[in-house]
Amino acid sequence: MEVVVTGAGVVVERGAETHLRGALGLDADGSVPLGHLPEVVRGRASRAERVTQLLLAAGGRALATAGFDAAAAAETRAGIVVGTAFGCFLTNAAYQRRVAAGGQPAASPRLFAATVSNAAAGELAIAYRLGGPAVTLTAGGASGLTALGEAMEAIRAGRADVVVAAGVDATGDALAEWLAATGGAYGAPPAEAGAAVVLERTGRRGPEVCRLAGHASAFEPEPAGAAAGDGLAAAIAAACADAGVAPADIALVVSAAPPPLASLEARALAAVLGERRRRLLIPKRVFGETFGAAGILGVLAAGAEAGRGDPVLVLDVCPTGHVAALVASVPEAR
Amino acid sequence: MITGCGVVSPLGGGLRPFWEGLLAARSAVQPITGFPADDLDPHAAAEVRDVTPSDDDRAGAFALEATAQALADAGLEPAALDARRLGVALGTTLGGARLFERWLDGEAVGDPERIPYYAPAVRVARRLACRGPVVTPQLACASGTQAIALAADWVRNGRADVVLAGGADLLCRFVVAGFNCLRATADRARPFDVARRGLVLGEGAAVVVVEDAEHAARRHARVRGRVLGTGAAADATHMTAPDREGRGAARAMQAALADAGLDPAAVGFVSAHGTGTPYNDAMEAVAIARVFGPRGVPVNSIKGAIGHTLGAAGAFEAVLCLQVLAERIVPPTVGLAAVDPACAALDLVYGEPRPVAVDATLSTSSGFAGVNAALVLGRP
Repeated sequence: MEVVVTGAGVVVERGAETHLRGALGLDADGSVPLGHLPEVVRGRASRAERVTQLLLAAGGRALATAGFDAAAAAETRAGIVVGTAFGCFLTNAAYQRRVAAGGQPAASPRLFAATVSNAAAGELAIAYRLGGPAVTLTAGGASGLTALGEAMEAIRAGRADVVVAAGVDATGDALAEWLAATGGAYGAPPAEAGAAVVLERTGRRGPEVCRLAGHASAFEPEPAGAAAGDGLAAAIAAACADAGVAPADIALVVSAAPPPLASLEARALAAVLGERRRRLLIPKRVFGETFGAAGILGVLAAGAEAGRGDPVLVLDVCPTGHVAALVASVPEAR
Repeated sequence: MITGCGVVSPLGGGLRPFWEGLLAARSAVQPITGFPADDLDPHAAAEVRDVTPSDDDRAGAFALEATAQALADAGLEPAALDARRLGVALGTTLGGARLFERWLDGEAVGDPERIPYYAPAVRVARRLACRGPVVTPQLACASGTQAIALAADWVRNGRADVVLAGGADLLCRFVVAGFNCLRATADRARPFDVARRGLVLGEGAAVVVVEDAEHAARRHARVRGRVLGTGAAADATHMTAPDREGRGAARAMQAALADAGLDPAAVGFVSAHGTGTPYNDAMEAVAIARVFGPRGVPVNSIKGAIGHTLGAAGAFEAVLCLQVLAERIVPPTVGLAAVDPACAALDLVYGEPRPVAVDATLSTSSGFAGVNAALVLGRP
């Protein structure tokens, strides 16, 4: 069953917003733009940690474009699925440094309460009174598409009528140090972003942005191995089958592999789509490596580029081994 | 279908010490010895004392051991499975937090990839050479419950034949200092007791094998239980305090029952989240009574015995439910002596184990940021 995207919101690094219509860039001082949010939400967001700010900024924009009102009655049939590679990593570092320096007396209740990766989804649920399932997950750098896929399933299974699906990750010194310690496997440059879409069974609120037709996620146990690619190939084939789309009909591919995994991605694409060259879009060239946000950014970037009705294949590929694929299309008549 | 389970608990390694310890009302809560904790107040917890002390990736080691047990219990050899149809859903709230503490302190910790939340699931997935979906649910203290729900969804939707699902978490200064600074802890957990003061932390891992029914039937697998329904809901009210009316928890339970197609009366046992904090237990009493009616179903909590194992808690409670379904007896709530009048709407099992007639169980979990998840399991 197809699921319809009726709203979208994106926050990316300053300057990158020009590459995607409707996207917001970080403010000149590096802060997350919050001015577009309703006053009650803006107040919560201004006091929140960075990942939460990114999610509220993107999620708030997505809900507004889908026609939601923050002051409306609580929606118990509206859910949230958030994907994040590193979640509260930066908050954890800030909290732990205080504990290491001053012991328990230095532990901050405010920071500790935000050392769960679902804190951002909780703030979004409170801000917009979304009382349906609130799920946060991590699948490394494939968290965004994986979350989008699980959000599709929540709609398909009738667990919710509306789902905000989002991918989000923030960058900062502690994460930069950790990424450096991994030897650059994640690609560069790291960038922060929040990307959110509103999914519905039918386009009952806002205009249709695009349609999501099929998805799958998988794992590569040895992603750097010479023969890697089986997991991603299986995910691509399963996403096409879920969408009812023949792999040969895929018109545009959104590539996601960081440079060390380019051959893995190429092998998987060749195995399922054949050797015929497809149009390739590489959003990471303009948005940077945005980890959990990359997959949903890829869907929106593809939506802006694809011809109407053309099936688009969007990929997420991570050095952890997490991979995901999603088939989307832009409706014939927008 | 659930065809296997594995447990690394503070009551001992393996299912038998876990279950026998619960029936005997043993508490594994003691002063912390696994890391310097004398300056933490309180510093009692339920530690795992007999699993791979040489492995400094504690949560990963717990997860691997519980997975190995679950596979053996299910009679499955991973190498004989279709790797593309094999998945992992493993919740955690801390992942490699002890390694993180040391890394932040400037110590060399080997592979830094063992630190993020996804690390324990990745370690299990690599050990199994799996090529199916691998996800780490992040629903705070409901992560283990959601992991099993996610696995059941994958199997139902034909995305996997076999999924290793559960949760793993560990004790460390990070988390003990954190719950202490929230004034949410006590030396002893007394779920639903009038004298309860707070939770006591625990650690460990519990993993179940969620398997497609036809796949299990083809290999004549012994079935431990069935996942009948799952549900989740947000409080959408407060980041750390539960909704006092229990609306989110009740919605999650109702969603799981609806998913199972069961009336509340069909459920013979409820495993409560039952942390022993004043707010949680009072909220749960309201929520459970809202769904099942006053004193409508036997209820217990195992957190007085094994502590609050955070991202593993829901998985431990799923294993508890499988045992209750198999043995038709409910272990007592360790730490409960005098029921709080605010919880009087619950038919709490305490003092002695209680024999029950049970064909279906419900486990409910709640966590920070207002998450709630519920799981309905049934007899084979």
